[in-house]
Parts: sequence; C-alpha cells; structure tokens
Amino acid sequence: MGELIVETSGLTKEFGEVTALRDVSIALSGPSIIGLIGRNASGKTTLLRHIVGLQLPTRGQARTFGVPTRRLGHEQLARIGVVPQLPNFIGWMSVREQLRYLSAFYPRWDLDRQSFLLDLLDLDARSEVGGLSAGNAQKVAIVAALCRHPDLILLDEPVSMLDPIVRDSFLKLLLDLVQEDNATIVISSHVLHDIESTVDWIVCLDAGTLAANAALDDLKDQYAEWRVLARSRDLPARFEGPFVLRHTVVNPRAARLIVRAAEADRLAFQQTHDVDVEVAPLNLQGLFPILVDSRRH
Amino acid sequence: MLIAIDLHSGVPAYRQLVDQIRLQVAGGRLRPGDEIPSTRALSAELGLNPMTISRAYALLEDEGVLERRPGLSLVVRARSGATSAAARGAQLTRALRPLASVARQLGISGEQAGETLRRLVDEDER
Repeated sequence: MGELIVETSGLTKEFGEVTALRDVSIALSGPSIIGLIGRNASGKTTLLRHIVGLQLPTRGQARTFGVPTRRLGHEQLARIGVVPQLPNFIGWMSVREQLRYLSAFYPRWDLDRQSFLLDLLDLDARSEVGGLSAGNAQKVAIVAALCRHPDLILLDEPVSMLDPIVRDSFLKLLLDLVQEDNATIVISSHVLHDIESTVDWIVCLDAGTLAANAALDDLKDQYAEWRVLARSRDLPARFEGPFVLRHTVVNPRAARLIVRAAEADRLAFQQTHDVDVEVAPLNLQGLFPILVDSRRH
Repeated sequence: MLIAIDLHSGVPAYRQLVDQIRLQVAGGRLRPGDEIPSTRALSAELGLNPMTISRAYALLEDEGVLERRPGLSLVVRARSGATSAAARGAQLTRALRPLASVARQLGISGEQAGETLRRLVDEDER
C-alpha cells in the first residue's frame, strides 16, 4: 500500500452523555476505496467529520496527510473533497454560478471535468441551487468536490439519494478517480449492496466502536457459513471450537454454523465429527450482522 | 481474455479472478506470451476495484502463472508440461470436492460416481 492518508488512534468523541466514537484506531492508505459501514447513528458521519477537522476528538488523535486535524491548513484542506449528506449552497445562485464561485478557491479546478460530471450526473447547470431536490443538491456537492482533483474524497451516504442509473455511473466514476488521480475515497453507506462492487477496504462501526477494519476480500476469505450434514451418527448438541461464531441446529442430522475458519479447519472438522460440510460464502450483506455481532460476544 | 466476476458473491473477487485466469491458462485458452489486460482496462471492463485486480495479478505473478515484461506489460508465462498437468489436476480436485460430498449424501460409491463422471466427460468430447 502507498501513502498513509488517514490515521486515528484511540479516537473518542463525546457529546455530553453520549459517546459517538469510542477508542477508534484506524490507518488508511491510498489509493483505495474504503467503505465505511454501520447502522444508523453508529458514528459514520462523526468519523468523517473528524477526518476533515470539522469536529475535534474529546480524547485520542486524528491525523490526515500526517497533520493533526486541528492544525489542517489550506494546503491540506484543498486536497480534500467532502460531500456531506445535506450540502449547503448559496440558494439564489444557479448551479453554474455556484460552481464558478467555488472554483475561485481551488487552483486545481478542472472545467472539463466539471462539464463531464454535470453531464454524467444529469444535472442542469441553469437551475437555481435553492430549488434543487436533496438528491440533486448532493450531485452538485459531488461535482464541487471532484472538480478540484482531491487526493482524499469523503462521501457521506452519496448513493442512497441517486437513482439507479446515475448511481451506477457514479460508482464507476469512483473507480476511474482512483486510477487517474490516485485518490483515496471514503464512502459511507448502509446500502451494502451498492458499494460492495466498488470498495476494497471495509471500516465497520457499531455504536461508535470499531467492529471491523480489513480488506473486503480478506473478510470474505475468513468468514463463511458451513452447512453441516451428519454422515453416520447424529450431530452433537453443539459444536465447540474457537472458529465457530454462531450455531443453529436445524435437526439432529443438520446444522448451520457461521465460522471464521481456514480450509484446514474444515478438513479437520469433517474428520472429527464425521460430517459433510458445504461451504457457503458470505457477501457483504451476509457479513455485516456477523461483524457487528462478533464484537458483542 | 473473457472474465466474468460476480461482485455480490461471497467469493472474494480477487479469488474469482485468479481462479478464472488459472483455468484459462491451464486449459490453454490463454497461451504463454499472451498479454493480460492492464489493471485499468480490466477495471473499466468489469467495474472492479483496481486494487482487487492488482492483488490478483500479484498473486498470479508469485505463482509463476504470469510474468511482467520489462516494458511493464503482463504476459502468461511459459511453463513446463509437468507443472501445467499438476495445475490442471489441482483445479479439477477443487471443483470436484463439493460433488464428492453430494455423492456421499446420495449413498453413491466412489466407483459409481467415477463412472458417471467418465460418461459426462466423454459425452462432452463427442
């Protein structure tokens, strides 16, 4: 992996009685597309806001491009593109005027990319920003964030508002950005199906705590569902083993296990228990409840 | 090179890619010296994260299936007949393992299952 882009250590954020982030330590290198997943109110937005310095840790540290986020200057901020869930614009301006206004702040602003993106996202540059739907306002934020060729792009739930066709071209666009700009992209979402094809790294938050921080393909390699079928004798009432995470007996001859195991574990397991094991891989949708759950146990 | 990846399958995308390229090399559909599409080209074609493709290519390079030419293009490496036969055998074993489990559940002997397989392979030959 390349340059270390985002680093937090022991990051904790309290809002009065509420702990929004608890002891979160991650190190994200780029280029990469990172999926930030978690249920509602799990701390995704708070983490994104810490990365760009919009909020500061109660305890612990956050660094972006190696700089503590409370000291991020214009040089670093110009390298970050942020797409918030509810962007703020100057309501009376047209989309084009709004973008021209923003472009003045960024020396790397790319007008060709601007017209390409307006076209791709199906935006009318003449419409008044204040009258846009939430989805279209977010598209303007996407254009504004990407036209300055940022090295780090933070997207807070961008796909939920986009219609299926635009969503597809948008996700493909992210793949191009990683290669053209060597960008690092953090995309938060709870629509796991949408981001599964695009992300290579997963950061999973559960009630403010880090539940997973790993390559998506590694998670898919490690976790699986085993469908266990008895060969001769009935199955034991439960299966012990450090790799068994969940256990459902279907009947005396069949059980369903969720495991975190290697191929060697399975072969040994088959021998020990005299069973056949069918391995069913888990996709992101299947993995998510396990990641969140395994932290609780 | 024709690759199809199921991005929502639980099988890691890099592994699907590695398996399919291995199969095509072992089966001779990709020949020694054949050029492999660049990470960028394949990413655009499959809508697949470029990091995933790099990971698969690196693995295949380590295994000696692919090699990087000085000009940076990635090609299928020439291999001895013995390695290629071993690779084909390993691939077949992997594919047959779940079927062996089905045969056991149906109470079909190894000999019977082997006969069925032989018939299917020969049928396809014709």
